[in-house]
Amino acid sequence: MKDFRVLIVDDELDFLETIVKRLKRRKVDATGIDSGIKALELLESEHFDVVILDVRMPGMDGIETLREMKRKRPLLEVIMLTGHASVESGVQGMQYGAFDYVMKPAEIEDLLEKIRAAYERKALHEEKVREGRVI
Amino acid sequence: MLKNSGYSLHNLYPYAATILSIALAVVLWLSKEIIGGSVALVIAAISFLSARDLTREVIKANEQKCHLDQQLIQSQKLAAIGELSAGIAHEINNPLAIMGQETEWIKHLLKDNNIEGPGATEELRDSLQEIVRQVDRCKDITHKLLDFARKKDPLMQGADVNKLIEDMARLVDKEATQKNIKIVRDYRKDLPRVQTDPPLLRQVILNLLNNAAYAIGKDGVITIVTRQSSNTSIELVFSDTGCGIPKEQLDKIFDPFFTTKPPGKGTGLGLSISHSIIVKLGGRITVASEPGKGATFTIHLPAQPSRGEQ
Repeated sequence: MKDFRVLIVDDELDFLETIVKRLKRRKVDATGIDSGIKALELLESEHFDVVILDVRMPGMDGIETLREMKRKRPLLEVIMLTGHASVESGVQGMQYGAFDYVMKPAEIEDLLEKIRAAYERKALHEEKVREGRVI
Repeated sequence: MLKNSGYSLHNLYPYAATILSIALAVVLWLSKEIIGGSVALVIAAISFLSARDLTREVIKANEQKCHLDQQLIQSQKLAAIGELSAGIAHEINNPLAIMGQETEWIKHLLKDNNIEGPGATEELRDSLQEIVRQVDRCKDITHKLLDFARKKDPLMQGADVNKLIEDMARLVDKEATQKNIKIVRDYRKDLPRVQTDPPLLRQVILNLLNNAAYAIGKDGVITIVTRQSSNTSIELVFSDTGCGIPKEQLDKIFDPFFTTKPPGKGTGLGLSISHSIIVKLGGRITVASEPGKGATFTIHLPAQPSRGEQ
């Protein structure tokens, strides 16, 4: 699998730094950012393949950010990160096109597996688009 | 309609009798049996006339049947469209009514020049906020409808269904525990991997678990079973000890907009979307229920044939 870029969005800075560090140690090109709005701005200028997005954030929350991201970058795969496990937000997130949910505290192996599966899906999707089968 | 005019072999028997009678008449005449020949000719005429009438009747009856069949299909289609539009109209009408009220209120505030002071500004903001919320609600409905209508091809990936279900079950666990709902897992350990669209399948599973918890309300058990039903298929079973589904509603619950939840609590699209997703994934979803005792939803999915013994 070729290199891919992961963006982690979470307002809890301690968690954010730790997870970016741990992913980097496993040779994943990971970037961290602490708000939904900043993440959307960053997506305008930089390319990412997979986003890990905290559900509960002040300002623009995870679900809103997800909707906006999927509208702007339909092929981007988004994994939702949740600490409080709300079923309502889970149902919404899956409906708006989230790839998966990860419960906090996330186990790094589990997270890595999900990131890989999400990236695999993105690559499959891009291939289909190139063949002109899906718009 | 002419395709189906009813000419089958046994309709030709009277014609055969006519021909045989004519042949008999000819034979009798040739052997100078004039009276016998005449009788045979009369018989031939009678059988020909009855044959013709019979054939006409059959054709007419067939045409009528085709017509009725088409009318029936047409009226069934119309009924389905009617039900669907009634559902949409109902779902959109409520937010429209609220938006109407709020705009009336804003007009009232503006007319009396009542917009001075922090209290009035606050009210204006509240009204606008409410309108935005209702617009979102409408958008949500149309979004779901589009989702339902759009033929999004699933993206097939290999998936461990037990893991996929467990992730969703954990998402429901905490809220379920608060309502004293226990989730019992009975996963088959060597379930074959499945080629499926994982996020779509997650959406269905989460929907079923959410419905199960809703049906129970408080104090109950949700049981999840995964099993291999044949060499090339698996079953995912979700049972609850909730209120169950009345018999007369069982064949309606996958219809779009069918809901028993109070207005605003559900659009009645969850199960119909789940149904269409599972069909897209090459499987099917079935339901069984004993009212008062609970309901069981079973997802049947195709699986890769297991390669011999493990």
